[in-house]
Amino acid sequence: MDAATAPHRIPPEMPQYGEENHIFELMQNMLEQLLIHQPEDPIPFMIQHLHRDNDNVPRIVILGPPASGKTTIAMWLCKHLNSSLLTLENLILNEFSYTATEARRLYLQRKTVPSALLVQLIQERLAEEDCIKQGWILDGIPETREQALRIQTLGITPRHVIVLSAPDTVLIERNLGKRIDPQTGEIYHTTFDWPPESEIQNRLMVPEDISELETAQKLLEYHRNIIRVIPSYPKILKVISADQPCVDVFYQALTYVQSNHRTNAPFTPRVLLLGPVGSGKSLQAALLAQKYRLVNAQDPWAAGQQGTHLPPFSAVPDSLLMKVLSQRLDQQDCIQKGWVLHGVPRDLDQAHLLNSLGYNPNRVFFLNVPFDSIMERLTLRRIDPVTGERYHLMYKPPPTMEIQARLLQNPKDAEEQVKLKMDLFYRNSADLEQLYGSAITLNGDQDPYTVFEYIESGIINPLPKKIP
Amino acid sequence: METSSRELQAAEYLEKHQIKELVSYLTSALLFFRPEKPKEYLISLLERLRIAKVTGVAFPFFMDNSNIVAMFEMMDSSGRGTISFVQYKEALKTLGLCTEDEDLQDDGHKITLDKFKEEVNKRMKEICEKTKGKDSESYQTAAGLLLLR
Repeated sequence: MDAATAPHRIPPEMPQYGEENHIFELMQNMLEQLLIHQPEDPIPFMIQHLHRDNDNVPRIVILGPPASGKTTIAMWLCKHLNSSLLTLENLILNEFSYTATEARRLYLQRKTVPSALLVQLIQERLAEEDCIKQGWILDGIPETREQALRIQTLGITPRHVIVLSAPDTVLIERNLGKRIDPQTGEIYHTTFDWPPESEIQNRLMVPEDISELETAQKLLEYHRNIIRVIPSYPKILKVISADQPCVDVFYQALTYVQSNHRTNAPFTPRVLLLGPVGSGKSLQAALLAQKYRLVNAQDPWAAGQQGTHLPPFSAVPDSLLMKVLSQRLDQQDCIQKGWVLHGVPRDLDQAHLLNSLGYNPNRVFFLNVPFDSIMERLTLRRIDPVTGERYHLMYKPPPTMEIQARLLQNPKDAEEQVKLKMDLFYRNSADLEQLYGSAITLNGDQDPYTVFEYIESGIINPLPKKIP
Repeated sequence: METSSRELQAAEYLEKHQIKELVSYLTSALLFFRPEKPKEYLISLLERLRIAKVTGVAFPFFMDNSNIVAMFEMMDSSGRGTISFVQYKEALKTLGLCTEDEDLQDDGHKITLDKFKEEVNKRMKEICEKTKGKDSESYQTAAGLLLLR
């Protein structure tokens, strides 16, 4: 079927189903695995892949200079996400593998493990059940470009790569205070992270090679290598500054790891912009329509296919409103390009009506503006009766005194009216927020283009995953 | 930038096993039937394909008996119980069961529902026979023919 010959009348349920169940990503993952492993018999392989169901499992690589806190962050992430941690030490200590014994021998001799052996160890470890089911976190590997390339050739791809970075002086100083608990393997610090229990304090050992000279040498080595590893992971890399308290770094790392990357999935935005009167909804809707060619369903100047104009909403009964809306939203251009509504639905009943008619939005934004800003924005609106120009006494003042003298105010913009309308909105907003659980709240009290940028990133990025 | 050998290898793999058609078929099935649990549904489709390949038995295809009857009734708008030869040939072409140039004998009589059903099933079986037990290319071609047009 050639898509160019006739426009497809695709029932809107199909793209909605596709979006909700992430069909595109599912197929993409399956195809990726097929191409990496290229099995002789694709169908049993695909069946096995679907049974495993591990598309969303964490696959993280944490890199960083010595004393940046890699291991600490890695261990905390492990505990939080319930995945397996892989470090050089615990790979070598694996007792069941012949490769590990070989690696241990070489490590004791030369203090490093050859890359080929290391990568083989990683491959073995990652093929085990717990890594497949619950994900894995690699701490400090790959160190060099060679290791990174080898890992890539085997088809091991992380989904998130975190690189910690801090100025060298900070790191050298920090390393001097490093202490290790021999029993648990946890790393403490004399100044920043001192364990409260005295028995742990007594156990702590000073690790070898933390003198300034040695740290400096290690840092040199690190900088030489990392610059060539970073380009291997272009779109999934994030650099986090390690020069802040541990908890902050952890929090940033956690949010990053739990966010999804932008996908190529086909996506028609169906956007709702909600907020009190004067929060800038219709302006943002117009901007969105202009930039992304979404259909602004309430555009008073758009000659719709049948010239439908939507009346102001406050006085219209719900059923009539829904009829007019459905007429507009059912048109072919709305289905194909997506739509943006602002100010609708006004309350829970309208929202339920909208859902029952099948118009489910896939992005909902609440614009929050404090009361004083709204008053400022609305009560200073004026109109010139002679030319019809609209002015604002603060943001767009009239050029001459003569014009200012004759300006009139719309009675709808009087203080009491505005207050009434705001109260009306806030009474209903709690219900609406509950209904649209995945709505994004924005600060509307900024200049329009900043707010627009926030809305854009909310639409383009996938919705954040809720923490279970 | 020249395509590396691994890229070429991957492209060859896709061609050989006709992965694109398979993925296309699976996605169309998902979007058309919209099951509650997409992964389980996919697993069941793939299992059926696998078994079909091995035993040469009926594929999971979109048309089954009730569809054939429905199609016939659509074409037979006056409800006489027969369709014209031209309609019959068009229907077979739409189902992918005969090619443009194939010359079907026009024996002068109109085609009845039974003859239509019989012919469709016969051709479906032929395809099954052709692809029975061969390597992975085989069921792909069949599934490709039977994709919803």
